[in-house]
Amino acid sequence: MNAAVSMPAGGEVILRAENLERRFGGLTAVSGFSFELREGEILGLIGPNGAGKSTTFNLISGFLRPSGGRLFVKGRDVTGASAKTISRLGLVRTFQHDSLLSEMSVVDNILIGTYHQRLAHEKRMEKVREVASMTGLADHLQTTAGNLPHGLQRMLSIAIALAAEPQILCLDEPLTGLQGAEVSSALELFEKLRTTHGLTILLVEHNMRAVMRACDRVIVLNYGRLLAEGSPETVSRDEAVIEAYLGRGR
Amino acid sequence: MWNRLPGVWICVAIAIASVLFALLATNAYYTSLVVWVLTNAVLASALRFVLQIGELNIATAAFFGIGAYTTAITAVLLGWPFWLTLLLAPLVAGALSALFGWVTLRTKGPYFLLVSFAVTEVVRLIYTQTNAIGGNSGLVGMFPPMAIDAYYPALAVALLAATLFALYGVERSDLGRLFKAIENNDAIPRSVGLNVVLLKVLCVVIAGSAVGLAGGLHAYANNVIAPSDFTFFVAILALAYVKIGGEGHALGPVLGAALLTLVGQWVAGISAWENIFYGAVIVVTLLVFPGGLVGLAARARGLVTRSAR
Ligand SMILES: Nc1ncnc2c1ncn2[C@@H]1O[C@H](COP(=O)(O)OP(=O)(O)OP(=O)(O)O)[C@@H](O)[C@H]1O
Ligand SMILES: [Mg+2]
Repeated sequence: MNAAVSMPAGGEVILRAENLERRFGGLTAVSGFSFELREGEILGLIGPNGAGKSTTFNLISGFLRPSGGRLFVKGRDVTGASAKTISRLGLVRTFQHDSLLSEMSVVDNILIGTYHQRLAHEKRMEKVREVASMTGLADHLQTTAGNLPHGLQRMLSIAIALAAEPQILCLDEPLTGLQGAEVSSALELFEKLRTTHGLTILLVEHNMRAVMRACDRVIVLNYGRLLAEGSPETVSRDEAVIEAYLGRGR
Repeated sequence: MWNRLPGVWICVAIAIASVLFALLATNAYYTSLVVWVLTNAVLASALRFVLQIGELNIATAAFFGIGAYTTAITAVLLGWPFWLTLLLAPLVAGALSALFGWVTLRTKGPYFLLVSFAVTEVVRLIYTQTNAIGGNSGLVGMFPPMAIDAYYPALAVALLAATLFALYGVERSDLGRLFKAIENNDAIPRSVGLNVVLLKVLCVVIAGSAVGLAGGLHAYANNVIAPSDFTFFVAILALAYVKIGGEGHALGPVLGAALLTLVGQWVAGISAWENIFYGAVIVVTLLVFPGGLVGLAARARGLVTRSAR
């Protein structure tokens, strides 16, 4: 819809939402929302509390059916498709809350991510170790997930998604509650996933400095509608964006 | 990992001893008691198996009955061969479990519990209203063939023990890990491309087949079955076995079934008090040691290792 702003990392369109809409009874959580995600980019999706970011995640991952609009993953129309179909097309999302299997060990958590594929147990364990070492969990494999320190819990939810070998990784506030050093290493991981593993990342995040550092492009949602779109610098100086954040006391 | 293996071998040894006992003991009361203990152990283990995905399956009683009726109908009314009538029990119970699971497991919450209760009572009413299968009085005359008759208790014990090991095997496999994940937080398996509804149905089907086989074996062990053997109370008793033995380990329901079945034989003497007795045992267990027998054992072991340090 929008004449695309030219960006450094801009491959083929890998995810496209057209006039996405979702109503909950009388409340319209997402309304006429269109955006494109291009292969290899890190796209930030920001907006005040209740703007509709997590709902958007639920829509594009097949966890919720849209009330209107269309959705395309890798050119395929997946409007109304199941979470399974969309995940197997390569789009995997994490969760803002309850993002792991708290009663199970770290190994078992990551293993769950590998079961979409038929694999020998040893191959699965190889995948688990690879993902665990990328996310800093290698020394905690036997720990019960609910007992991990908060920062590692956030990393574990990313690890589960990575074990599913996604092409498009959608992260819902992965940095919430992380310490400064943890934020830096998470951002390094995102960059590494993009450059050496060829992942495309859609990042919902309230930490604006992190968004500035990590994202090539940012889209802003407000009351379920697209408010602004552009480079992190442009968006952060946008009057309407500042107004939206200040207006809601953030 | 390794300290689990001796436990499994001890269980194998106990299973073999039970088979030998059923084979060699001459007192029919004791051999049938061993069969009954293992039948209850399978009922309780199957109930716990579905508890793994967070659902209380009252229809455990229904599928036990469906297995028994399948075997009884094909044996007595149709005169089909022994092995075929036994094989059909888990197959029919499994197939109907699939249908039941597919209809009920799409929505979460108390819905499944209520429907599983309703199904159990409706199926029982169908038996009572169908004269062709004996109505209220049920079916009589399921006898193993002459050549097998003397070994039947041993055969039943062997098959029931094998069923318990099979359920444990699944619990310890990748599939068991997926069941646990569904119970813990089903959004996670969904998010990585797994069909959660299908997995839940599979769980119900495995448990349904297990109790179906137990039902078929029960038909031959008891020679007579009636609708009143398959009320929802069968599932409530199974739940008591699970709670008393402990839900935390696959051995829990087996221990609970053994203990309560044996003690139940004694209490049955003061018949009117039987249900009150079970009720009291459940309440006391839940209050005094909520983890059941296995929970108690784990706590005792924890105390021992702590004091050893
Ligand atoms: N399942 C639901 N049923 C009813 N209303 C919902 C549901 N999910 C979300 N909403 C509502 O939709 C709106 C958007 O919520 P959403 O969770 O998408 O916001 P968000 O941008 O992720 O906010 P936050 O930054 O706080 O995570 C909110 O008003 C919320 O209350
Ligand atoms: Mg949110």
